[in-house]
Amino acid sequence: MSDRPTAAQLLEARVQDAKVVGSGEKEFSFDVRTQDMEINFGPQHPATHGVMRVLMRTDGELVTGAQPHLGYLHRCAEKIGENVEWLQYLPYTDRYDYLAAMNNNLGYSMAVEAVMGIEIPRRAEMLRVICVELNRIGSHLIAFGTYGLDIGAFTPFFYAFREREWMMALFEKICGARLTYSYIRIGGVFNDAPPGWLEEVALFCDTFEQKWPEYYALLMENQIFVKRTANVGIIPEAMAYDFGLTGPMLRGSGVDFDLRRDMPYSIYGEIAKDKAFDVPVARGEKGTLGDCWDRTWVRMVEMMESVKIVRWCLAHIEEGPVLGELPKTLRVPPGEAYVGIENPRGELGHYVVSGGDKVGVRVRVRGPSFVNLAVLEELLPGSLVGDAIAIIGSTDIVVGETDR
Amino acid sequence: MALLENSFEENVLTTKVDWLINWARLSSIWPMTFGLACCAIEMMAVGAAHHDIDRFGAGAFRATPRQADLMIVAGTVNFKMAERIKRLYDQMPSPKYVMAMGACATGGGPYYKYGYTVVKGVDRVVPVDVYIAGCPPRPEALLEGLMKLQEKIRNSSVIRKPARTA
Amino acid sequence: MDFQGIHDRLLANGAPGLLGVDEPRQPDPEDKKDKGRFGDAFVLVDPAHLAGFLQVCRDDEALNFEILADLTATDPAVDDENLWVNVALLSVKHRHRLAIKSLLPKAAPSLPSTTPVYRASQWHERECAEMFGITFEGHPDPRNILLPDDWLGHPLRKDYEFPKEYHGISCE
Repeated sequence: MSDRPTAAQLLEARVQDAKVVGSGEKEFSFDVRTQDMEINFGPQHPATHGVMRVLMRTDGELVTGAQPHLGYLHRCAEKIGENVEWLQYLPYTDRYDYLAAMNNNLGYSMAVEAVMGIEIPRRAEMLRVICVELNRIGSHLIAFGTYGLDIGAFTPFFYAFREREWMMALFEKICGARLTYSYIRIGGVFNDAPPGWLEEVALFCDTFEQKWPEYYALLMENQIFVKRTANVGIIPEAMAYDFGLTGPMLRGSGVDFDLRRDMPYSIYGEIAKDKAFDVPVARGEKGTLGDCWDRTWVRMVEMMESVKIVRWCLAHIEEGPVLGELPKTLRVPPGEAYVGIENPRGELGHYVVSGGDKVGVRVRVRGPSFVNLAVLEELLPGSLVGDAIAIIGSTDIVVGETDR
Repeated sequence: MALLENSFEENVLTTKVDWLINWARLSSIWPMTFGLACCAIEMMAVGAAHHDIDRFGAGAFRATPRQADLMIVAGTVNFKMAERIKRLYDQMPSPKYVMAMGACATGGGPYYKYGYTVVKGVDRVVPVDVYIAGCPPRPEALLEGLMKLQEKIRNSSVIRKPARTA
Repeated sequence: MDFQGIHDRLLANGAPGLLGVDEPRQPDPEDKKDKGRFGDAFVLVDPAHLAGFLQVCRDDEALNFEILADLTATDPAVDDENLWVNVALLSVKHRHRLAIKSLLPKAAPSLPSTTPVYRASQWHERECAEMFGITFEGHPDPRNILLPDDWLGHPLRKDYEFPKEYHGISCE
């Protein structure tokens, strides 16, 4: 037989090597060699919020390197913008951030209207803001539901979708679609609210206001959720500015800035002057300022602020036209404009260049999820694998907007 | 099962055994979580309480393809993702089914003309059993697609030899 | 501050590479062909000094543009000899924005990277590089971000030809 030592002989040799420590126990001096493992987190994974891939290098449970890979849902939205007419581009805007489609429609329409320089009828502005804020509630509900699902809490998901069903039914009554609306158009909104719609929105607001404390207590006060998200993924203010973060990511780091109140567009100026809504800024309640819990807290409280904005609009809405007079073939005069609005995820910017033709020269979409995702390269190394999931979930990305 | 498949002539016993196997299969189709884009949200709505997919037996969404029967391709497929879809399809054990949900998976969708990285239909990558139209399809449409798939399974012959046309 | 105030402050600071401004104007009543220029006013900057210019925008007290909102490029027309690099800045403290444009010749589309100034521009520059073929000198990670690694051509250029097939899957 070969003269290789057997397992018993090896163990015996190691035991002989052992030193005796003060307590009389033997301390083994194995050389424990660990190996870095490279694993693929995604693109098909239940917790990546879509098709995103993070190439992680891990040493056991500790993540030592992370590289996000995008492009698995790249749908050439910007090339399409250069080839179709202005109004034909509107359905494509729905599909980048599909959880808050009204906001995308609004951003694009406002950018084109900024170049055209037209006035929007007042009733259209009111309906726009009602729809945009209801969609914000819906988007934050999904953030709340799916983040709970990532962490392991199954119940918030069902409650979130129950509320969303009512919200989608409301949108179906006004524009016919549940998810991709194309409702907010250049010059106003496409359809007036059917009779009884505004009363149903008021009923939705009242019902949601009663349910909200239950959802807050279910997830945010849950000890397991707090333990998993507090002091995890801390983004200090300087890092947030450097990475260009906006929206709940920025407010979760303690910066008091909201485009709706501070650089108002549409009728938000009037609403802010009436002090109808507050802007929730995280205070580091359960851990360090800027951790995952703070960002989720900002999203939860923003839902109630959106309810207040909707109530203001319902109180101030008047009769009137909903769509301005526009020619059948829209020709936008030459020029360019960048308009940024407050998406549930951050600043959604549309940069539109027109050459005076019926087809655009450039439609650039600055998706907040694309910018917010870059912070993962800095946050993930040094965290545990479970924390990595919590951090990715707290950025609340939508891959349609990351890849456009 | 592979030894017994398609080996017996049609008679009363094999018909009944086939009926039993098919009924077991169609009542417990477990889909894989494969939401790519906007259709994924409607798929999640189908999984939620209002349009319950669990009453069809298909409520256990498995994350890994090795435990799934059905791959619902919900969303746009582009070239970067197409290679991964093929790989995931190969990892699924037989019998496996593919449902193309939405206009993008069926034929490229709204990105048909100017989408340079969009695959014009997932059937260029994997064989598809059921196509569901819509952008995104209503949850009821997805459930109807599931029922069509169940019908297809109900009429398939496992133990029996496939029927020959004269 | 409004656009005029920001421009005056930039001139006072001696921001490098500032070439001029372009403000919107109504169509000239004398010239029938002129349709005017609408929309935003922007600042024209020399691409070789773009990084230094952004540093002044970020560090100056009165300007204080902490956030790089967007860095992108535009191909205005097939026969135009320049590409544009567009930068949008946002200031949280002073609540103002600035739009910047640099003209890059298509024959030599390369400029120093702005990643030392704003970390946010790292991913934006990767996207511009793959979509337009612009080279950002000194970029720490110049890989494709949205397109597959072996994609040919620069899609957002106006003279881009759509591919016929990729890895055996037909594009028709």
